[in-house]
Amino acid sequence: MSKRIWHHPEVPAGETTVSWRSAGQLEDTPAFREWLDREFPQGAAEMADESEAETSRRSFLKLMGASTALAGFGMAACRRPESYIVPYTKAPEWVIPGKATYYASAMPRATGATPLVVTTFEGRPTKLAPNTLHPDAAGTDAFAQASVLDLYSPSRSRRILKAGKPAKRAELDAAIAAIAADKAAKVGFLFGADDSPTRNRLRKEIAAIFPAAKFYQYEALTPDSMDGVRMVADFTKADRILALDCDFAGIDPQGPVTAFFDCRKPEGKGYDQTPDAAKMNRLYAVEAAYSLTGGMADHRLRVAPSQVAAVAAQLARELGVSGIPSDGAITDSKQLEWISAMAADLKSHAGKSAVLAGSRQSAAVRQLAQAINLALGNIGEDKPLFAVLTEATGLGTLASLKADIDAGAIDTLFLFTPSNPVYDAPADLGFPAALAKVKTSIHHGERTDATAHACTWHIPAAHYLESWSDARSARGTYTVVQPMILPLYQDCIAETELLLALLSADGKLLAGEGEKGAPSPAYGAVRKTFATLGGEGDAAWKKLLRDGFLPGSQYASATPAAGPVSPDTVPAAPAIDSLEVIFATDASVYDGRWIDNAWLQEAPDPISKLTWDNAALIAPKTAKELGIYDEIIAIENPRALGSPDGEGENRKSPIIEVAVNGRTLEIPVLVSFGQAENTIIIPLGYGQAFDKDDELERKPANQSHVGLVGVNRGFNAYPLRDTATAYFATGATVKSTGKRYSVALVQEHSAMYGRALAREISTIDSQDDKGGFEKQLANVKKQGNDSHAPTNISLYKPMGSARWNPGPDGKAQPLINDPLHQWAMTIDLSSCMGCNACLVACQAENNIPVVGKEQVAKGREMHWIRMDRYFAVQKDNTFDADNPALVPQPVACVQCEFAPCETVCPVNATVHTEDGLNAMAYNRCIGTRYCANNCPYKARRFNFFDYNKRNPLIKHNLYRGPLGEKTVGEANHLQKNPNVTVRMRGVMEKCTYCVQRLKDSVIRQKRGQKQEALVAGKPSTEMEVTEKTLRIPVDSVKVACQEACPADAITFGNLKDEEKSAMFRAKSGERNYDLLNYIGTRPRTSYLARVKNPNPDMPDAKFIGKATIHMV
Amino acid sequence: MANIFPRWSNLLPLKIAVCAGSAAAGVALAFAYYATPKAQVVGYQPSQPIPFSHKIHVDQLGLDCRYCHSFVDVAGHSNVPTGNTCWNCHQHVQRESPKLAPLHKSMDPAFPGYDGKPIEWVRIHKSPDYVYFNHSAHVNRGISCQSCHGDVHKMEVVWQDQPHSMGWCLECHRAPEKHLRPLEEVYNFNYGDADVTKYSRDQSVKTTQDLGLKLKEQFQVKPKESCATCHH
Repeated sequence: MSKRIWHHPEVPAGETTVSWRSAGQLEDTPAFREWLDREFPQGAAEMADESEAETSRRSFLKLMGASTALAGFGMAACRRPESYIVPYTKAPEWVIPGKATYYASAMPRATGATPLVVTTFEGRPTKLAPNTLHPDAAGTDAFAQASVLDLYSPSRSRRILKAGKPAKRAELDAAIAAIAADKAAKVGFLFGADDSPTRNRLRKEIAAIFPAAKFYQYEALTPDSMDGVRMVADFTKADRILALDCDFAGIDPQGPVTAFFDCRKPEGKGYDQTPDAAKMNRLYAVEAAYSLTGGMADHRLRVAPSQVAAVAAQLARELGVSGIPSDGAITDSKQLEWISAMAADLKSHAGKSAVLAGSRQSAAVRQLAQAINLALGNIGEDKPLFAVLTEATGLGTLASLKADIDAGAIDTLFLFTPSNPVYDAPADLGFPAALAKVKTSIHHGERTDATAHACTWHIPAAHYLESWSDARSARGTYTVVQPMILPLYQDCIAETELLLALLSADGKLLAGEGEKGAPSPAYGAVRKTFATLGGEGDAAWKKLLRDGFLPGSQYASATPAAGPVSPDTVPAAPAIDSLEVIFATDASVYDGRWIDNAWLQEAPDPISKLTWDNAALIAPKTAKELGIYDEIIAIENPRALGSPDGEGENRKSPIIEVAVNGRTLEIPVLVSFGQAENTIIIPLGYGQAFDKDDELERKPANQSHVGLVGVNRGFNAYPLRDTATAYFATGATVKSTGKRYSVALVQEHSAMYGRALAREISTIDSQDDKGGFEKQLANVKKQGNDSHAPTNISLYKPMGSARWNPGPDGKAQPLINDPLHQWAMTIDLSSCMGCNACLVACQAENNIPVVGKEQVAKGREMHWIRMDRYFAVQKDNTFDADNPALVPQPVACVQCEFAPCETVCPVNATVHTEDGLNAMAYNRCIGTRYCANNCPYKARRFNFFDYNKRNPLIKHNLYRGPLGEKTVGEANHLQKNPNVTVRMRGVMEKCTYCVQRLKDSVIRQKRGQKQEALVAGKPSTEMEVTEKTLRIPVDSVKVACQEACPADAITFGNLKDEEKSAMFRAKSGERNYDLLNYIGTRPRTSYLARVKNPNPDMPDAKFIGKATIHMV
Repeated sequence: MANIFPRWSNLLPLKIAVCAGSAAAGVALAFAYYATPKAQVVGYQPSQPIPFSHKIHVDQLGLDCRYCHSFVDVAGHSNVPTGNTCWNCHQHVQRESPKLAPLHKSMDPAFPGYDGKPIEWVRIHKSPDYVYFNHSAHVNRGISCQSCHGDVHKMEVVWQDQPHSMGWCLECHRAPEKHLRPLEEVYNFNYGDADVTKYSRDQSVKTTQDLGLKLKEQFQVKPKESCATCHH
């Protein structure tokens, strides 16, 4: 029996917005309605078919009967076992058992290190958070959050390999010593694109000792540096921003991005000013397919990447930049109008605007952007853009390395790059063949990837949380990379240690702690580098370790060369028989390096909502023209006829064959809204290894390259890619193959329904009934049903028992009665871009298990935060009806004061706390799932299996019950947060506002009482204890999602702090609204409506800022 | 009329009763032995690798609890002393005592069997699974060690004195006045009614419980009873 359906009122006839989550919903198949009524997506709550499942219901009962009978013999195990307390022999400094210690460190990256604060428990790093002291702090992204899992990854490389076979450390030591002894050696070094002062120093020392040494830099999807000159954006100074195919908020950072999001809030950063549209910035985006940045844009133009150059050239012409040839000019009148109005806006904000060209665009486009910025006067020390000179100069490219190898200038090659050049180098370069020519190649990396196997030696790399190093952040601040733990595996060696071995007199390789009695070699090297920058002595060094950075150590500024503008000839726009392929950086695996990171693999792609695989994306119109649209929309499901686009184990996408650059690739295809027509996006980084369980029965290959997470994942698009077409290629054709591949999409999972779920307003008056900014602001709370629904009157009085829990007056008191703390949260849709940082941070903090592709397909993913992604378009959109707005909305448990889940729990496992949380007592839960059934926000997740113990990544393993294989690797549990219960099979779970952090901060505050008495020198009985003593300082506790957010979209705090708390100010603002307010649940998490700041002169202005989402 | 039941069946009811009775008794015993919450095993007194006597150290020598359990007022866990805490004194005191062999083994490089490995103390008090008990939250608000651990200062060998069950926890959370003390008396195992006058000039406050009631008001002690207080 399906549950009783609440009939939401229909959208009134006057509504102009059409909104949807998936193509199936847009097509409005009748089955979608049934879909929405379900508590869990199809199949999630049912046992699989007997034929499919390893253990059928019948055999399960048999087994259960037998095991119950056997239990009698095994009962002795119930007796309390003797357990031991094992204290340290010598107590390490600072370690307090059971209490977290925090250290400053940083994650080195090509676009500037991410400064971090690392939480450690008894020496184990468990959680990463941004270091907010750092001048370049900009939250964290999903990659940074998930990088802690790599440390404990079961597939992590841990043995030295020689020609692919395990080798002893002594053999490696001898090999390194031999290289170090030969000072005339023709040795080459291939580094990553991150900038490390210690590496730069050692590099120069090596160059002095080894005259024939050569140095190169390579990361697959990071363009070669232009002589160390880099443009950095300061978003606090940019009122108008144009992103030319530049995902600066996502995978293509151009500078600390938090400031950009601060300027998306009309009330200002701390929500402490009157809303003013003039305080907001305005973002124009020109891109082929939705990126996170494009989703934030006020105006967005869809063009194929090859045509971005034409748009830039047209803009340059409008702005009077000289020397722009007129060929390849844009002819579309709508586009011309769009560009012209934008040009006027940029011009009127000259000196306060920024034109950002994507790093994957051609040098010509970057030059054009530079010329435009120079013409607008946007570049300079106190301007939105400034040029810095990095220290990574004098490094060759991968192409020059290949040329040097061919010329015989390299005999020995060290590969330190985090990329995997044998797998990801452009196909026409022939790098694998060149590498084979090198006499001794030494690969250093955390994975035994293709390059590791192609080299003479592979050395397992120490993780950045295991070794001393340093790095430069986006604007060049010197940032220390502190280790938290010695390498987990004995053979792991850091890059610095290898370089030091070459520099040492006897070529001796010292790793980890180094020799007894002396500081570790890498520590010594970093300290020596720091001494030249921050001064000698312990004081400066200790301050560096405490803060994580050296203030005032930014890069020197550079003068950008005005340079000749020489736009390439713009190729013809793509057509249906000559498509354009975009090789995209993947939001889960980046360039392929995170293929073995389970958190990232399971985090849904922010735009396509695909997990565990990659798929080609095409615009619906192109799909229709190619004749594959119906194939994509239809689902192969023997039971539910004509189920929509969506989800479930039977969801299979058609496979197409893409032919480009004379090579072909078979890959499943999905429809992507807002994408330019005649383009195909193919995310890179997948298809690295296959085994016998592969769904398409691809030939087993490279099984030793990846672990269980990365095997059989997606399709490898790198072979299609040439040096000249590294980021996009033209002239592609597509044909249908008739094959299908199952894809685990989550876009319809736990679909909420109701009116005005995500609300959007505009700062301009588009001459309709919505009125101007003030009126729209005032009407935020009246959107959807809230315009006419009567005020909720609750018959239920949330009062406690007068007998068992009386108030001070002896009478019944309200259940939510804590006078000190009342927790609440706001999520600002105006700055949320839907990037998954919160989702992964929550997973790390709250011990949320990974469930694997099979289970995700059934809708059983466990993420407590569901990142909803909606599309919406105006019915009368005459400018571009195929360019819907993209609206992300993170939904976790909203902590209803009148929680529907609590009233239906038969065992009181979910109950309210005095401070306003909807708590979960996991050990009480018996798994009836009534609560999830009754949750209108669909925020509850159920452990269908014991995901922590039984490895969900082995095919059918979960269905083998107690006979299934246990979780792989000995290290996984080391990442777990000791203050959060690890949930068992059959238990419901959900967000509880990081209650462990709240309890910890409240208890810490209570200690103040004693401190006060000690300071006053009075007996404790004479001290007055007030609310001030016991209430935690304003906004002093941060929940994991809030902390991770690069956009500051989440505020959290204590309602009792009132105006002092940013959360309270945000909540009292006009933009604040409750999700599904009209059903009367009184949620503690509320949302702030999204504000778009369109330019009234733009042709599409009146269609912007109306994407209020109705799901009915 | 013939007998319906044969003669042997006369004893059947008795036999059934005896069988059922012994089965029931067996089940009850088995349940009591195997399946009752082990947190409530009051009196659990395992022998420790070193027969450490709290009686000597606390009662005779007057060591404060926090000399060894040094993090009890700052952390959730109350730590068991590290090897070097013991060694601080015992490298000088009672050095030759054979009872201290395990300590020498872990701390004294000159000792023949030295291996540097930590001492494995047998755990006595264990919160039930899924409970996060925080020591610092209690000792800093006037709940003494004695309330939960009993008269440890009199124990030659430590045993579990109180059932650490949820009902027992709630008893105090509902009526904390029975256990509340001035913060100065938290680690004082000899605290009693005689000490009350030091803290209150009020004649009506005679017993520790009277003072506790007063302190409950003054310290604003409102122990929580909701699940998330201990379960998260």
